Formats: sequence, C-alpha cells, structure tokens
Amino acid sequence: MDSECLALLPAVCLVLADPKQSPPDDTSLEKLLDWFKELHSQSNGQVLLQHQPCLLEFISSVCTSKTTDHAILAFTLKLTGLLAATTQGFHLLEEGGLLVSVFEREAWCVCDHWEDASVRSGWLQGLLNMLKHQQALDFIRGNGLIKVILQLQNDRSLFVACLANQLLVHILNFLTSSNMTNGSDAVGSSELSLRPDWVSVSSEIMNAVVEALSSEDHPQVLQGLRLLSLVLSQCGEPIRSTLWKDVLVPLEVLVNRGSESLMKTLITVLQAAVRTPLLSQSEYKVEVLLEAMLGDGNRKEHFQCAALILKLEKCPEVLKRKAMNIILLPLQCVSTQPQAEKEIIVVLKEQLSQKASCISLLMQSLSSLAELAHTKYLFEDISIHSVTSSVVLLLRMCSGHCPSSLLHINAFTHLIGCCKVQRCGLDTLGALSVYEENVDLRKDIFGVLLDCLQSPDSHATVMKKTFQAIKRWIVECLPFPDLLQFISHDLFPVLEKRLCDLRWEVRDSTLEFITQLTAALNGYSGFTEALHNSGMVSVLLSSLADAEGYVRASAVAAVGEAVTVSFHIVNNNNLLEEALVQMMSVLSQDTEGFPRRAVVKVFTSWLRGSHPITALDSSLSSVLSLGGNDFDWEVKMHTLELAEMLMEKTLTCCPYAIQNFGSSEETHFTQALSRLKAYGLFDLLLNSLFDCDRPVCEKACGLLVKLRTLTAETADLNHSAFVLNVCGNRWENEVQRRCLKKQPAKASVCVTNLVSKSDEETDCDLHCSRNISLYKILQILDLDDMQRMLTLSSDHVVNSPRSLMEDILSAAQQSEENIVDCY
Amino acid sequence: MPDIKVTPLGAGQDVGRSCILVSIGGKNIMLDCGMHMGYNDDRRFPDFSYITQNGRLTEFLDCVIISHFHLDHCGALPYMSEMVGYDGPIYMTHPTKAICPILLEDFRKITVDKKGETNFFTSQMIKDCMKKVVPLNLHQTIQVDEELEIKAYYAGHVLGAAMFQIKVGLESVVYTGDYNMTPDRHLGAAWIDKCRPDILISESTYATTIRDSKRCRERDFLKKVHETVERGGKVLIPVFALGRAQELCILLETFWERMNLKAPIYFSTGLTEKANHYYKLFITWTNQKIRKTFVQRNMFEFKHIKAFDRSYADNPGPMVVFATPGMLHAGQSLQIFKKWAGNEKNMVIMPGYCVQGTVGHKILNGQKKLEMEGRATLDVKLQVEYMSFSAHADAKGIMQLIRMAEPRNMLLVHGEAKKMEFLKDKIEQEFSISCYMPANGETTTVVTNPSVPVDISLNLLKREMALGGPLPDAKRPRTMHGTLIMKDNSLRLVSPEQALKELGLSEHQLRFTCRVQLHDPHSDTDTLGRIYTHLKSVLKSYSIQHVPDGTVIVESIVIKVTSSAEEPNLKVILLSWSYQDEELGSFLSTLLKKGLPS
Repeated sequence: MDSECLALLPAVCLVLADPKQSPPDDTSLEKLLDWFKELHSQSNGQVLLQHQPCLLEFISSVCTSKTTDHAILAFTLKLTGLLAATTQGFHLLEEGGLLVSVFEREAWCVCDHWEDASVRSGWLQGLLNMLKHQQALDFIRGNGLIKVILQLQNDRSLFVACLANQLLVHILNFLTSSNMTNGSDAVGSSELSLRPDWVSVSSEIMNAVVEALSSEDHPQVLQGLRLLSLVLSQCGEPIRSTLWKDVLVPLEVLVNRGSESLMKTLITVLQAAVRTPLLSQSEYKVEVLLEAMLGDGNRKEHFQCAALILKLEKCPEVLKRKAMNIILLPLQCVSTQPQAEKEIIVVLKEQLSQKASCISLLMQSLSSLAELAHTKYLFEDISIHSVTSSVVLLLRMCSGHCPSSLLHINAFTHLIGCCKVQRCGLDTLGALSVYEENVDLRKDIFGVLLDCLQSPDSHATVMKKTFQAIKRWIVECLPFPDLLQFISHDLFPVLEKRLCDLRWEVRDSTLEFITQLTAALNGYSGFTEALHNSGMVSVLLSSLADAEGYVRASAVAAVGEAVTVSFHIVNNNNLLEEALVQMMSVLSQDTEGFPRRAVVKVFTSWLRGSHPITALDSSLSSVLSLGGNDFDWEVKMHTLELAEMLMEKTLTCCPYAIQNFGSSEETHFTQALSRLKAYGLFDLLLNSLFDCDRPVCEKACGLLVKLRTLTAETADLNHSAFVLNVCGNRWENEVQRRCLKKQPAKASVCVTNLVSKSDEETDCDLHCSRNISLYKILQILDLDDMQRMLTLSSDHVVNSPRSLMEDILSAAQQSEENIVDCY
Repeated sequence: MPDIKVTPLGAGQDVGRSCILVSIGGKNIMLDCGMHMGYNDDRRFPDFSYITQNGRLTEFLDCVIISHFHLDHCGALPYMSEMVGYDGPIYMTHPTKAICPILLEDFRKITVDKKGETNFFTSQMIKDCMKKVVPLNLHQTIQVDEELEIKAYYAGHVLGAAMFQIKVGLESVVYTGDYNMTPDRHLGAAWIDKCRPDILISESTYATTIRDSKRCRERDFLKKVHETVERGGKVLIPVFALGRAQELCILLETFWERMNLKAPIYFSTGLTEKANHYYKLFITWTNQKIRKTFVQRNMFEFKHIKAFDRSYADNPGPMVVFATPGMLHAGQSLQIFKKWAGNEKNMVIMPGYCVQGTVGHKILNGQKKLEMEGRATLDVKLQVEYMSFSAHADAKGIMQLIRMAEPRNMLLVHGEAKKMEFLKDKIEQEFSISCYMPANGETTTVVTNPSVPVDISLNLLKREMALGGPLPDAKRPRTMHGTLIMKDNSLRLVSPEQALKELGLSEHQLRFTCRVQLHDPHSDTDTLGRIYTHLKSVLKSYSIQHVPDGTVIVESIVIKVTSSAEEPNLKVILLSWSYQDEELGSFLSTLLKKGLPS
C-alpha cells in the first residue's frame, strides 16, 4: 500500500504546492499528516526524504511562494518538523538552508501569514514535531526561537497559547532528559548540570515564568501560572524545584492577594505541586500556600479553594480537615446551628441571603461532601448522622417543607423548587449510603426521596437523580424487613403514578429504575410477589404501548426483567404469554428501532438464563424471521446474537462443550439441527451473509463457519436430512453461481440463464439445484475467503492513504467548484 | 466597562462543527455543540479542555443552546454531556429535541460499525443526554436563572431551527445558528424583533453569494430527473432521514402530479413514516402554505412516493429512489449505487455535503473508477450531479437580518475566512458598525455601554415644568438633575428632598473653603471694607452684605479677614461657600488672588 502511495506522492506535492489550487477538504491535510506520522514511526525521515525528493521541492516551493494558502503553509510547517525529527532528516533539510527558511519567523511576517492563527499553530507544532534530538534544540536556541515561543505563550488564540506552553515544557523536559544531563531526580539537586549553552535556554524560560507571575497584566499572569502547573506535572528534577524556588515569592504575593479570577488556576498549580516531592519539604512552602489560600474561610474564594483542596488526592490531613470544616459550614448554616466563630457566621449568612451565592455555596458544600463519601472519608469531628440529616433537611426545604425553627433563614425561600441544589443534594444523599451507620436514618431518607418522586413539579432530571439515590439506598438496606413494606406500600404506588407522567423523560427513568430494581432484587421472592400483587406488572405491560419509542424500549426491558424474575413462579404463564404477544407486536410493527432492538435483546437474555427454551419455542422462529428482515442493521445484529445463543443452547449437551459428539450425541446433534432448521436459523444466517450492512455479514459469516466446523466434525450426519430451498432467497444467486462452478457439465446452460433471468431459468434452477443440503451449501460458499474479505474491508468510509491521495488529486482536476455546503 | 466575550471553538472562519462560547454579564453560554463528521477520532469533537481543564463543565457553563438538529451543530452533545460530563440545562426547540436523537442515533449506527472507531457515545448516552434537554417554544422567554434569559426566534433552514436571543440584564447577544431569509417548499423565512443586541453572531456560509433563485435550482433539479426518467434511466438521490429529503419529496410529488408521470418514486423503508410523523407533529413550524393545505390534505402523505424494498432496485425501467445515508458511505444508498453505477442512462443526484473518504465525495470529485471492498473496481458510468439545496441566508439575506435586528456589533461565524472578509467590509461600510470574525480559539471582546433606563418621579417632572422647561420628548434628550435612588432592583430619579424623605436621611451641608493671602498694609476691618467695595463694583447684580461681626456675605459665600501678629501686612482671606455656589466661589477666590485695587 505504501509503495503505491509513495508513487502518488510527487503528484500530490505538486497539487498542494500550486498556489492556484484551492486547498483540499479541511480534513485531508490532517489525514495526510497522520499518514506521514505513521510512516515516520515505521522508518526514519532520512529514507523518506532521500527517496522522495519531491518533499524537499514541495517545502522549498511553499516557502518561496508568497501566495500559498494558510492551510498549506501550516501543513508544510508541521510536515517539515516531522521530517526533521531524525538527525538524518534534519541534516538534509538544514543543508540547503531550508530548515531556517521554514522556521524563520520573519519570513512569515512578510505576507501577513503570521496573522493567521493556523500558521502560528503550525509553526509551533512543527518545532514540537522536530524536537527529538539535540541538533533540533541547538537550532531553536541558535536562531533565537525561544523568544518567539515565549511571545506566542500570550497569543490571542487559545490554541496557539496552549501549544506554546506545551512546547516550552517539552523543551525543559528535553533539557533534563537523562541523556542530556547528569542530574538526579531527587528534589533539590540544586544545580542544573546542563551544557552551558543550554543553561541559557532554561533560564530564559524560567525567567519568563517569574516575570509573568510578577506582572500586573492578568492574562500574562494566567499564562505564567498555566505554564508553571504544566512544568510541575510534566517536568522532572532539577527543573521543577529550581523553578519553584524562583517563583515562590511572586506566587506568595498572588496567593495572598486572593484574586477570585486566579483562584482556580492557582489551585491547579498547587494541585500539581502537591503531587510532587516538593510537598514534603517545608522550605518549598506548598502547605503554607494552601493554607493561605483557605484564609479564614468566609469569602467565596475560600469556599472554592476548600472545595478544590478536598479534591486533592494527596493532601495533608490537617489541611483537609480545615477545608472540610469550611466547606460544610453553608450546609450547617442552613440546616442547623454551626459551631464556628460568630464573625464567620455573620459573613456567611449574608452570602446565604442572596440567591445566587446561596445556591453556589450549597452546591459546593454538597458536591464536596459527595466526593468525600466516594472515598469513604472518615469524619472525625462531625457525626455522619448529623451531616446526612442536614442533607435530608436541605432536600425537604427544596420540596417546600421547612421546620418552623429554620423559617427565619432567608435561604429557605431560595431553595424551594431549586433543581440545581436538589440534583446535587440527591447525588450526595446517594453517595452517603456508603456509611453503614446511616442505615438508621433510612426512614427519613426514604421519606424525603419519596417526597421528591411524589411532587408533580419535580423536574425530570431531579426524578432521575432520585431514582439513582433510592436504588443505592435499597441495595444498602436489603436485609431489613421493613424495606419490602416500603417498596410495596409506598414506592410502587408512586411509581405507577410516575409511569403516567406527561413527560417521557420521567416515564422512561421510572421504567429504567424498575428494571434495575428488579434485577438487583432477583432472588428475593417477597419482591417478586409484591411486583405481581401490586398490579405493577400490568402497568408495565401497558407501557409497551407508550407513544414514545424510548419509553417502549425501556418498557420492553422492564417486562423482560419481570418475566425473568418470575420464571419460577407457578402462575407465571399468563405474564409470559401476555408479554410474548405484545413483544411480537412491537417487533413486527414498531416504527422505531429502540423497542425492536430491546425485544430481541430480551429474548437473548431469556435464553441466556437457565430457563427452559420450550416456553419461548412458539415465538423464536418469528423473532428470527422478523429480526433478520428488519431494516435497522442493529436489530439484525441482535437477532444474530440471539441465533448464536440459540445455537449454543441447542447444540451443546452441556454448556461448555460444543465438539466431539459420540454416537448418542450424534442423535442429539441431528435433533438439534432439525430444531434449528425449524426455527429458521439457517435461512437467517444465509440471508444475513449477503446483507447490505457489513457487520451483519461478518457476524453471520462467523456463525456459519462455526456451524460448518460442527457439521464437518460429525462424520455420520445424515446430510440429506437438512436440505434447504434455495429459490426466492437473497443468497440464491451466489449459491447457484458457486454450485455451477463445481458442476462444469451443466454450467453453460445455467450461466446464461442466470444472467438473462429468462423464463427458462426457473426450469434450470429447478433442474440443477432447487434444494441443496446445508452441508453442501456450507462447503460451496467460500466462507473463509468471505470472512477474510469482510475483516479486511476498510468499511464505508475509505480511510486508506491511497484513497486520500486520489481524492486530493481528483479534487484538483475538478474544474467546477462545488459550493461549500454543510449537512 | 462591562464586556461580552465570544470564543469559537468551532465555526470560527470555517464551515466545520459549530461550538461558540459566549461570556456575558458573568454568565457562560455554549452555543451549539457540533461534530466534525470528517474525522474518526477525537478530532471530530470540540476540545472542551480549553473551557475547563478539570473537565467540570457543569461548574463553568450556565447553559448550552442548540440551534437546530444538524450534526455539525448538535453532534457532540452526548459526548459532552455524558462522556466529558455536563449536568446543566440544554435548550432547544421542541422539534429539535424530537428529531435530534434520531440523527444522532443514525450517525452512531454508522460510526460504531466502522473499524478503529473509539470513544463514541452509545444509544443510552443519547437518551440520557436528551433527558437533560429543556424544550422551548418560539418567542417564549425562558429564565435560565435570576439574571440570564433566552428567547427563540424562527430561523427557517430546517424544521425546528431557531435563532436565540441571550440576555443578561441590559446586555444581549443574538445567535442565528443556520438560517434562511427566503421561504422554501416547506419552511418559512427567518424573522427577528428589532431587539438591538450588543452582538449579532451570524452564520455566513454564503457570505459572498447572491444565490440564484430557488425556483431556478428547483427547475434544474426537476428537469434533470425528468430527462433521466424519460430516457428509461434510474435516479438515485442519497439523503439523510430528515430535512432536505422532505423538501425534495414535495417537489417531486407536485411535479409528478402536474406532469402525470408514471415512473415510480420510492423512499427508504421506515424513514418516511418517521419523518412524516414529525412533520405532522410540528406542522406549526412549517410554512403557511403547508399549514393551510394541511386541513384539506396532508402534504406529507404522498400519492406517488412509495416505500422502497431492496428487491425493487433490480426492477427494469425508470424509477426515482430516495435512499439513506446521504453521503453514499453505507447501507441502502451505497448498495443501490453499486447496482446502478455501470449504466450511463442512470443518474445520482447528491444534494448535500460529503465527507472525504466517502463514495459521495469521490464521485463528486469526478472519480470514474472506484475501488470497492475486496479490490473489485466499480466503473462509474452514471451521471453525477451536485445540487445544493442547502437553506442558508445569502449575502442579501444576512444584510436583511442586520436591518431587522439592528445590532450594535456584528460577529461572523460558520463561513470561509476569505468570504467573511468581503462581507465584513460590506457590513461595516453599510451599517457603520464593527464586524468581527474570530478564528477558532480566538476571543473577541466587545465592550458594552449599556443605556440604563431610569424612572423619573412625577414631582421632579412637574417641578421641571413649573420652571418653564419643555414637555418631555423622546426625540430631544436633555439633562435633568435629581437624586438617583437604586432600590429593589429599580432605578429612580427623584428630587433631593424626596430622596432624603424616602431613605430617612437628614440633610448635611457641604461647604468648600479656600484661603487667599494678600499684602495689604491696612487693618483687618479696613481690608474687609475694601473687599466689600471691590466686590460691589464687580458683582453689580448680586446682593452683597457687610455684616457687623466682621464678615462679607455674597449669596452663600462668607468672606473673613485675619492677619498674624508677626506679619500684620499679610492678610489671610478666608472664603467659604456651599456647593450650589461652586462657580461663584471659585470666581471670587480667583478674583481676590489678583489683589485689591489700590
């Protein structure tokens, strides 16, 4: 493939370098670069450049042309960098001065090319691509390019600025990589032991960071902090500690200034610092800085900082506790009397009296609490009961209930019906289920969750979060006997009501919840009985006729799960029969793919279970036939998965062995094949083999290969017993063609007829091969070749580089420009 | 000064995926969240790490607004909400919410099938994402929170497409999404209030084109189809399930009826039902003609267009088939194409954009030999036609919208840089407003100077009238003096007395003092007398008093003279005045500094 592509390369280069041509499709150049990268990783740049002089000519001609399109320029810069990534390639490009002319910034300024962000970005990316060896670094240093990169760090384009930071970090990393220095990775290995000319490079970059941090210009400070955090997280010693020492003073100034707009970026810096060994050395003051950022905990920024500190994986415990005390304050302030200094409470209450800050503080409080719960954080100073009760109370307030003792709190009015706080609170409440001691509060917890479900005004997203929380709590409370009482008496009636909600989102979430609950409680007979006795099953069945496709699909899954847990119940037959009738109607008539897909999936899951297939016998052939002829390829795929399961269940004596049938097994195998034939499984597989969607063909082919292996292994199988009628099937032509190939004597007559489709053809078909045995079909079809082709197939969108190059070339030949359109 | 920031992450100087960030009045809004269909890796989605590095989009964004259901505007939504993680509100119109998941699902089905595809969303994710969507109606003002409100306007383009006004306090931005200023077969033209936004962010796909009339294009399309069918050829029109397909169906249906043509027209199975279901459901979003005739006959229930079965492709004789997908890269449309490609009597009409690598893209570029799976070569002998039916506003339409909305600034997105440049000049020339065209990743900052409406108390107005001022006139702005009270989210201009009364404050007098030194050999009393005489001669129309306690008073200005024992000739004249007499006080201090006449 590559040799063909390389043959096309000169022509492609000519087209791309031609300033009269408009650049190809915006993705083509990127894809072409991908190919070069791949080539480069396989071989080296020198080989490519030596064998493809057109590349040098291309780069040279783009550099000299003043009118080349920006997209082509950017491409050339990236490509040059890539080709110069090996020392040999680098030298070839440097020899004729080409490298300098490509990366010399001034050259680009002449025609305003530099004004275009894509060119600046290409320039940086080119250098980044190139920086793989010492000569590249010498080139960058020697041509004074560090200065340009530092300038680009403050570029007006986010993308360029970000790339410049990446390049600077890459340079610093490169300086300290093991083959360049004698430095160790121990913190504080104070001096850089670099080549003297490279010391200037590192100090130039580091001085720029210090300067940026000391600057009064906000964007510059921000970029400086970004670079600092990148250095901390991506560079090793001694760069890391040297830079940290240099920036400590301006950093302390920034931290103490407590500017809100810098807070997040400062925390990112400290977050990166915490992950390094700098944390454990007091002279680097990481902990001091974090504590300073927490302040006295009464300003908005302090809360933000506390929330961020709690998310740090490695954080001193004292600091974490301080942050936790700060972050929990708003929650306590709203729901109880907090233990904190009066001054702090006054400031906090003032903030809580304003809606926007009240919501934001409580959300920070709640989400931090949830994160602590995810790690099962051990609360020492506060009881988890009181924290959980506060969350419950907060959720009650959101539903409009407030104890009279707290009515004076302004926050209450802000909270009524506030979805944001509700969603966050529900997540937190769910997360708090990890603390076993909270199980004592289950009555209150289920009470408030039920309130959320009962309220018709609850937002659909709130309902969904409520379901998630209920599920977590039910699973936690499983051994308690009062749980079943709660489910059947309290929960089910509300669920039935929610299944009639006007919003499809709510109906769907309810059904999803019922499915998950049923699966989680499978084996608890009390639950299954409750499901049947409460009338929930019939509500589920009626949901199969919902107006919304998504809901019908979820109803199918819910009914499927209900049937699964009810298989052992004696009077289950009614449910199964009813479910089968309705599901078949969904599969045959539903206009949407989701419900049809769900039906086939349910059948597969039923088969996968240890239930007797006989109960489904009557429907299976219809499912295979309907599913196999569906116009949604995913329904067809699911049907083939069902077929696979059916084959496995039918053909195996025990679940783990498919092969080696003995004499008694042969009888079993013959019977099993007869059953599969009766289900219409062979027709399904052969039809699917010639489907218009490749994944379907591939799956069917795999199953047929499996079948062929089995039939071949069973030597005494009576092949004539399994004869399939070829006529009228999708695979007729192919089988006939191959059949005729193997019967040369009859071929001449039949081939003519197959092509002309005349009346005699039928006679011919009838005559030569109307009925063919399955065994013969499997032998005739070259399944191995088909499988190989299907696996090789590059699929619908041709991604090969050759096709890409042909597209570029043919687009260039196309004289008439198609007006740019968007889908 | 407050400002509005606009940063395109996509659609900045290109016609790729749209994703534009707007920061207005402390709120962050994402406009559209599109996907680039030309890539099969992460490059297809916007890089959200530029918004927030820690991936917590919910904390950063106040809301996401989707203008319409095309994937270059909504295709990255499930990725963003379910994979990157965003729990906040997503707004779109009712039809968009209904149709968006169908197209996302269609594309997912094509994508998951491809090899090497990674990081793509699932059906469940599409559904979960849709559950977060808040649907809205046209002209309905939605309060996202206390300060942020949004309002949708009709945009034409496709069913349910909308332009959005985003307002925080007095600052506002309008985002057009894709729009069309001329009605087509099934949709109306875009329309907006004269809402005078601070920035109008407009698409500019056809920034330099004055498009030939829609009628011409339609005639051309019908002529080509008719000719092919007449000579016994077959016509394949690859389409996506919803959108342009419906317009072309109406066009052909009407033409077939009028010409009494017999050749069959087919539409991919299952799609007509689904599409027509939505068009019926959202009939109010279609144009007037369709709405009117709907009572007698549903335009979307076609007489000549029948469901397609794959076996029909082999039927002899002419036929027209609409088949999915639209870029000839998979499934039914590709299968039919393979069957028909070898016959020069046949024709394929590509009505939309095709991604590089697809058969659609290749044949549009004129490739005549296609290598299909398994290296078999397919000769393309059939005629290939490209007909753009894309419903975008042309240059004239964009100018028309500017006239409608009267923005203070203009910002162009979703277009090619060169064409934008041309339109930008034109806009700046004709409307004398600034026009911006940021590239992806570049932030445009527009300083806003909001005019703040203030209520004026009736008493103050009456007092102004009593002093003989003219009646208030909106066309003749003039200065009024009063005290501004900012209370309960309102601003009122009242008289100072009323302000004191309302706020329960007592009045304090503020006086300015000034000392002037001058050499005068006389006694202090005489100096004061000389000052009195001097002022009497200068300020003839003022009442000037010489009070026996040793002061001279002019209006509110009090003048005293002192001297020190050590230097009796150096007199210090102390002047004091209230702020109402600031002018006179300043004048007197300057006058006395010049000395007294001898």
